[in-house]
Amino acid sequence: MLLPILRRLAEMLFVMFGISVVVFGIFFATPGADPAARIAGRNATPEVLAQVRHSFGFDEPLPVQYVKVMEKLFISRDLTSFVNRGEKVIPAVVESTPVTLSLVFGAAVIWVVFAIIMGMIAAATRGGIPDRLLMFLGLVGISMPVFWVGSVANLITQSRFHHTFLFSWVPGLGYTPLTQNPGMWFKQLVIPWITLAILYIGLYGRVLRANLVEAYQEDFIRTARAKGLSERRIMVRHALRTSLITFVSMFGLDFGALVGGGALLTEVVFNLPGVGRLTYVALQSLDLPFIMATVMYSSFFVVVANAVVDIAYAWLDPRVRDAR
Amino acid sequence: MSDATTDATLPKTAAAETPEGPWRVALRKLFRDRTAVGAIIVLVLIVLACCAAPLYAKYVSQSDPFQSNLDGSITLDGNSVDIMQADTAGLGLGVTPIGPTWHGQYFFGADNQGRDVAARMLYGGQNSLLISFFATVVTLVLAAIIGTIAGFIGGLTDTVLARLLDVLWAFPVYLLAISLSIVFISKGIQIGPFTIPSNSLILPIMIIGIVYVPYVARPIRGQVMSLTRSDFVLAARCLGVPSFRILVRDILPNVTTTLIVFAPLMMALNMLTESALSFLSIGVQPPNASWGTIILDGEDLLYTQPMVAIAPGLAIIITVLALNFLGDGVRDAFDPRAKLRVKKD
Amino acid sequence: MTLRRWLHSSALALIAASGLAAATAVTAQAADHMGGTLNLTGASAAGTIDPQINYTSQFWSVLFITNDGLVAFKHVSGESSNDVVPDLATAIPAPQDGGKTYVFTIRKGVKFSNGKDVTPDDVVATFQRIFKVSNPNAGSWYNVIVGADACLKTPATCTLAGGVVADDAANTVTFHLTQPDSEFFYKLATPFGDIVPADTAAKDLGTSPAPATGPYMITSYDPQKNMILKRNPYYKEWSKDAQPAGYVDTINYTFGPKPEDEVTAIENGQQDWMFDSPPSDRLPEMASKFPNSIHINPLFAIYYAPMNVNIAPFNNKDARLAVNYALNRKSAVNIYGGPRLAVPNCQVLPPGFPGYKAYCPYTKNPGSKWSAPDMVKAKALMKASGQIGQPVTVIADDQNVDPALGTYLVSVLNELGFKATLKVISANIQFTYIQNTKNNVQISISQWYQDYPAASDFINVLLSCGSFHPGSDASINISGFCDKGIDAEINKNLITAVTDQKAANAEWGKIDAELVDQAPWATMFTPKQLDFVSARLKNFTFSDQFHMIYSQVWVQ
Repeated sequence: MLLPILRRLAEMLFVMFGISVVVFGIFFATPGADPAARIAGRNATPEVLAQVRHSFGFDEPLPVQYVKVMEKLFISRDLTSFVNRGEKVIPAVVESTPVTLSLVFGAAVIWVVFAIIMGMIAAATRGGIPDRLLMFLGLVGISMPVFWVGSVANLITQSRFHHTFLFSWVPGLGYTPLTQNPGMWFKQLVIPWITLAILYIGLYGRVLRANLVEAYQEDFIRTARAKGLSERRIMVRHALRTSLITFVSMFGLDFGALVGGGALLTEVVFNLPGVGRLTYVALQSLDLPFIMATVMYSSFFVVVANAVVDIAYAWLDPRVRDAR
Repeated sequence: MSDATTDATLPKTAAAETPEGPWRVALRKLFRDRTAVGAIIVLVLIVLACCAAPLYAKYVSQSDPFQSNLDGSITLDGNSVDIMQADTAGLGLGVTPIGPTWHGQYFFGADNQGRDVAARMLYGGQNSLLISFFATVVTLVLAAIIGTIAGFIGGLTDTVLARLLDVLWAFPVYLLAISLSIVFISKGIQIGPFTIPSNSLILPIMIIGIVYVPYVARPIRGQVMSLTRSDFVLAARCLGVPSFRILVRDILPNVTTTLIVFAPLMMALNMLTESALSFLSIGVQPPNASWGTIILDGEDLLYTQPMVAIAPGLAIIITVLALNFLGDGVRDAFDPRAKLRVKKD
Repeated sequence: MTLRRWLHSSALALIAASGLAAATAVTAQAADHMGGTLNLTGASAAGTIDPQINYTSQFWSVLFITNDGLVAFKHVSGESSNDVVPDLATAIPAPQDGGKTYVFTIRKGVKFSNGKDVTPDDVVATFQRIFKVSNPNAGSWYNVIVGADACLKTPATCTLAGGVVADDAANTVTFHLTQPDSEFFYKLATPFGDIVPADTAAKDLGTSPAPATGPYMITSYDPQKNMILKRNPYYKEWSKDAQPAGYVDTINYTFGPKPEDEVTAIENGQQDWMFDSPPSDRLPEMASKFPNSIHINPLFAIYYAPMNVNIAPFNNKDARLAVNYALNRKSAVNIYGGPRLAVPNCQVLPPGFPGYKAYCPYTKNPGSKWSAPDMVKAKALMKASGQIGQPVTVIADDQNVDPALGTYLVSVLNELGFKATLKVISANIQFTYIQNTKNNVQISISQWYQDYPAASDFINVLLSCGSFHPGSDASINISGFCDKGIDAEINKNLITAVTDQKAANAEWGKIDAELVDQAPWATMFTPKQLDFVSARLKNFTFSDQFHMIYSQVWVQ
């Protein structure tokens, strides 16, 4: 049991190493990305520029610079930004984590609840009008670009209907920590939660319905029916239970990816200072230390989520081990 | 490959007539699916409309959707109306582009360069469709090659390829796409004698195509692996059938089916990704347009002329929705047990 | 609060000075406006807050109310905001030794926010620090100080011995210059010259603030989120011209939202002021709904398209002239927000700037004012240039109106017969990208804001041979324009300026016209500053140098 876990850990490390090399390489392939000029200011003389370049070590060979950046990131943990100098990278990432977690947790609660309700209603009325309507709406949800939904939501809640009773409670875009003002935290996040959840409600609702319908054809459901159990009990106690395995593993992957920065577009549109937006801003300003830290952070979550789901899956279903 | 439940839904007549190949059965099934046929019709209409963009620009909107028109005016209901309307009341500050006229010219209004949004949407649609289609081709071809090689050969090759896929897979899609775009968009690529300029459509096609390779390559690898270990392939090997023959006869047809099932769903996903990248201004580069870049233009005008952002968004939704419906239909037709699913985010 | 307060409109200030009764009335009235939190917002932060390093107008406005130099630009509205007044020095010293020596007496009793007194040693350390932390202008502004050469070579051991000399007994600091410098006081009045304690680390302070001397101090700064300023407990007003006390108790500067959303937030009363310029399409709505919340003030700045005079197609003068004649500056003005917010401009200097003399040959009726593009002439020149069909890439950054101006310029170039495309790159790298000759940039969109009110800050900085460094990211002469004749005139005039500012300004006007005739740029317009404030923000005070003065507005 220990060996596979160790192997998995080694694989994770390898993957993260690969990603860090790729990111570092990409950054240095970009023209105009020389951070020295930006650090030195707008009419620096070439001498000043050369000094700045030397003091930051930009004149050293790339592998040396790579090792230095990684050393500062993981060992001394005092890596600082190239753009907002003096800004420590790790505290910035740590501080933006609660924002992303708030966003993703809230959205996850919404999407799990609504997806289960939607999947159950659709499965219970399969072939009927509610089923078709819900599946259609689910597909529409999947088909909408999330940034567009966010923009339209802003248009409605911040401008067009902001002064009506419907949305006058919506505060300005941004984030207030839960500990500082729970009411404000909630009010500012409701619209982003819904925006982010729409896609997943559609996706999960459809998958759950398909699994439920499949489960209904299994022998144990027939047995349960034969025993005269109520439809409701069959649905909740038997069908839903088995169907949730796929649901849970999908949830693990998506949740990991979102916490790791996958909610970037939602964060950008709603100006939530989370990890996704941090990454986006860093990429826009080609701030290598921040890019490295956020990308490592997010790939960590994706890799961990993958591993957890794989292990859980293998534990649940030994057959999967061979298929992988 | 028979399944009690799906057999029941198969048309009874098919079995009675001369035996048909699985492809024809699938196609026949697809064309019986009213939703799928509806989706195909919608898609054909969209493609035709986008192809007619030059005609629309010339005869309907009567303006060049790629040239700024900040000083012009049009005649509307007999009155001359400025395209960029300066504020005349109050402090006389600011200039707002004309809103939707719901007439031939400036149907959806103008963007902040005074260009006809409706005409730009048709041209932009060409790019959105081209990029998502060819990115799908890139993804499927690469995924098929990598997945088949890894699954069929196994051993060290498989380990290396699988780890490479893991690296790509663990890289959050948007981050990877954004990183690649920022480099290529600011520089372009030079491969030997060929230079791809930074505003070429090939760049977003390649970027989007590559980031989704693991999504398809991993299931294909799994499928090929389980086929290679299946009883009938083992039997063939025992009989001395050469590997290449097994690959071509037994494995590739299955892979092809998988690819077909994935195709429309991947294209839908690619269209969303393209729009997101363009929205982050790292997809299609101006003055070229795609639906995503028009939404970005509209974002600047969101609170005054929201139609500039809403219209291309609706175009994306309709197209992606149609592709998803088609995808459902294709999956039901080709892969009745619905083993394959596209992960989305 | 026991500090003396006043109203900061000049008219009222006069009344306050003229009689005791009026003064008490005003004091009482002003006291009502004390307190509250001023909410500022900007799309992004502007990097380090080290006064010796930060070179952004965004944070210079902040440093303007937190830190002080020996001298300062007057903290008032209107034209007198360009005047230099004594700040931490007791008086503006008279030049000695033919303008090569200045003796400043340090004001007694001024304390840093850490409780320590400001001493002559702090002043010396500050000027050493300029070199030690590689101040961007160390080599171009402060190289005039004796001993600067050694400091530029080996910053770590910089002493400026013989250049900046402290005398603790007399409480003075003496500056020795290698040559007279007509702009020396300006250079001391910018935040680069802000005095910091002698024990301040000789490296970039980054996100931790230097101890303040002004009425406010930065208490926290997170570039991803916000900056908070609170009252400096050790501040006691010493000169209301140089550094007046403030009204609000707290300033909260939030970073992140897009300009559209900033406008909405101000309209909804969630923010008080935005750093970015509001999107053009929102202006009519803002003006009609909140006419009293809009303040328009002139800026000394230009938006221009530098053309690379060393590579095709703009090494051809006819091609450059063609672009200048074809450019419809009215369209560009419309993109920026209409005629109330920008003035068409053909030349290097902005209107109203020292040395400015209106001149515009690139228009329908050449003379002093631009009226309309001359497309016929432009097309004829284009034909003569033989550059029709040449590919051109316009490089613009991704902030504010720049992408739109770039798109428009592409349109103009295509109309002339070029094959033009636009490349939008991140504002963080665009400015250095277009400077480096290695990137072969043909034409770009850029802008220049004054550092201080002197014509050389445009002409000498942007178009002299000395600021052209091929292959370097720091080559602010983006056009790569170098004309030996004009360069000689510039250098001669810099000397003239020391003794006869008036004659020098007349000469700057002539040099400006000569440069315009060479057409290294297509100047588009001079923008105006539009400030959009919340309904509750009152007593709007605007300095030409540092824009809205945060300490002088009130919110209750």
